[in-house]
Amino acid sequence: MNSPRRIQRASQAIALIAALACAPISSAHQDEPLAELDFIPPAPGTYTLHRIMAAPEGRVLGIDGRPQPLSRYTRGQITLLGFIYTTCIDPEGCPHAYRVFDALKEAIVATPSLHGEVRFVTLSFDPARDSPDVMRRYAGSRVLETDGRLRWYFLTTRSARELMPLVEGFGQDIRITFDRSGARPRRELSHVLKVFLIDRTGDVREIYTSTFLYPRLVLNDIETLLMEDRAAHRKK
Amino acid sequence: MGNIRVFRAIGMLAMVCVGFTAAVRADETCNSPYIAKLIKGQEDYVYVWTLGVEGLGDASDKLVTVDVNPKSKTYGKVVHSVSTGARAEAHHMGFTDDRRHIWAGGLSENRIWVFDIATDPAKPKLVRTVGDLGDRSGYLGPHTYYALPGRMLVQTLSNTKDKGGVTGMVLYNNKGKHLANYAMPTEQGGDGYGYDLAVNPKKNVLLTSSFTGYTNYMRPLGELIKDGEAMKKFGSTMVVWDLKAIKPTKVLAVPGAPLEIRWSLNPKDNWAITAAALTSKLWLVRQDAKGEWIAKDVGAIGDPSKIPLPVDISITRDGKGLWVNTFMDGKTRYFDLSNPEAPKQTYEKVTGKQVNMISQSWDGKRVYITSSLLANWDKGGADNEQFLRGFAWDGKELTQKFEVDFTQEKLGRAHHMKLGSKALRSSAAGG
Repeated sequence: MNSPRRIQRASQAIALIAALACAPISSAHQDEPLAELDFIPPAPGTYTLHRIMAAPEGRVLGIDGRPQPLSRYTRGQITLLGFIYTTCIDPEGCPHAYRVFDALKEAIVATPSLHGEVRFVTLSFDPARDSPDVMRRYAGSRVLETDGRLRWYFLTTRSARELMPLVEGFGQDIRITFDRSGARPRRELSHVLKVFLIDRTGDVREIYTSTFLYPRLVLNDIETLLMEDRAAHRKK
Repeated sequence: MGNIRVFRAIGMLAMVCVGFTAAVRADETCNSPYIAKLIKGQEDYVYVWTLGVEGLGDASDKLVTVDVNPKSKTYGKVVHSVSTGARAEAHHMGFTDDRRHIWAGGLSENRIWVFDIATDPAKPKLVRTVGDLGDRSGYLGPHTYYALPGRMLVQTLSNTKDKGGVTGMVLYNNKGKHLANYAMPTEQGGDGYGYDLAVNPKKNVLLTSSFTGYTNYMRPLGELIKDGEAMKKFGSTMVVWDLKAIKPTKVLAVPGAPLEIRWSLNPKDNWAITAAALTSKLWLVRQDAKGEWIAKDVGAIGDPSKIPLPVDISITRDGKGLWVNTFMDGKTRYFDLSNPEAPKQTYEKVTGKQVNMISQSWDGKRVYITSSLLANWDKGGADNEQFLRGFAWDGKELTQKFEVDFTQEKLGRAHHMKLGSKALRSSAAGG
């Protein structure tokens, strides 16, 4: 069972998320407020997050340019991972995910019970353009330490060869399409917005698309995983 | 590695990031709103999931590709067929969320065949068979394949214990790993039966309908309808579920075997419509003034006393129109849904001696119809036409443009359809 204090903290975080969702998020990408939930979501711990698949392994580059195994960023803490391109312009795509991450960051930083429990990972699809330096500039102040409350990692890969196992492993579809509406066919790189919630053991437990990427739902899921951890700890 | 070449090429191009990310929207044939890519222009192919017929061709169930692009030299022709080597009452199929694969199954077995349609959209390739559904769940007869992100939710029709209608749903990941089972509710009005499922993420609602079990759907129709006890064993409910939790929240009384479920694709709408097969009624599912989900009988399809047997339905992208096929009289009917509380039939045409599935293009200008309902329910003799027919719809008249005779082509009974496009080719179809 959950202690009243934990439930209270979770409730505070959820209340904060609700407030953030209704308020414009200060972001370099978008100024529009995030959509509000049009339903009452199930309470944390009242549903099961299945082990959908293991997060894939591969090599990534941090903003310092040093290669690391991706598992360094997907194990030991609850991880929220999203793929982006720094040149992405679709408001319903990468910038939307970024705004949700920003809203979640504020809520987590303001909720002591979540400090040190969660990390964010933003991984580029575009190794040709998104070098570690580009990712550093893209991250701006978000990459700074937050006194152990929340770390947000901005990663890229050295090459398509190193990226593809990650893309494939997550089931993150990327497709080349041709826009033939203009005088010359234009190649486009299309993808479905997906954000992955990964537990401490490296298993993907939820996949959010834009239709279900609400800060409140993500926070509920994080709390559900924490409750699962606590229950497992009590059994030991 | 093709993917690497692709990415190298991309690096030299101006890159555009396009997310397929709108709110609730289904694809051109009423699929999951999580399906990645819609075909909003001219489709190139219709994939037809086809029941094998003993003594016809290889007698196996198969996925048939028909070229439906009028500009193609092979327009209206079969361009590919991939056989399963089994005859298992092939019925429905569904895309994975990335639209790289089709999951297709039969009602007499528990095998699910997974086809790669991304490597070469003209030539689907059988890449995997999922065979543990019965062992994992105790359910039988996978029917609806509904994409969730990274997963496939499968609605079944029966169970392995008594082969009756009490059944459930099974969740797999996209690689075919079993994740969970969900029993259809048998309490608080639930009859435990299943048929179709469809979601409305905006409202966090999963809606299911109900049909009948193996002992009925595998029985010859003429024999079945004379068995009063057996005829009582049809579903009479729809269930509202909490989509996030996949838990039932309310059972709705919808007598007469409610089948296909279509949510309005209009982003402003939050209602769904279904057709009850045995009572020949359209039912609307929506929230009332208090926010409670309700089901409402909103009108008849043809003359219910003649049992026209409505089967498949197809909703227009704006939620303003609905195609309904009625199997017994071979009619395709169009209903004006401008007021979903009072659908009004505005058109009908006999499109075959027996008709079942109906799919339309995103723009509504092309309509495809197939003939087979179930192997033992299809008509006999000269009435047992087996076809895919393509029609043009100008808002007033359906005009047939081509036909593929599935018997003449030695293919089998034409059932479920999905649309395909050359533009959806992807080299990263690992399966």
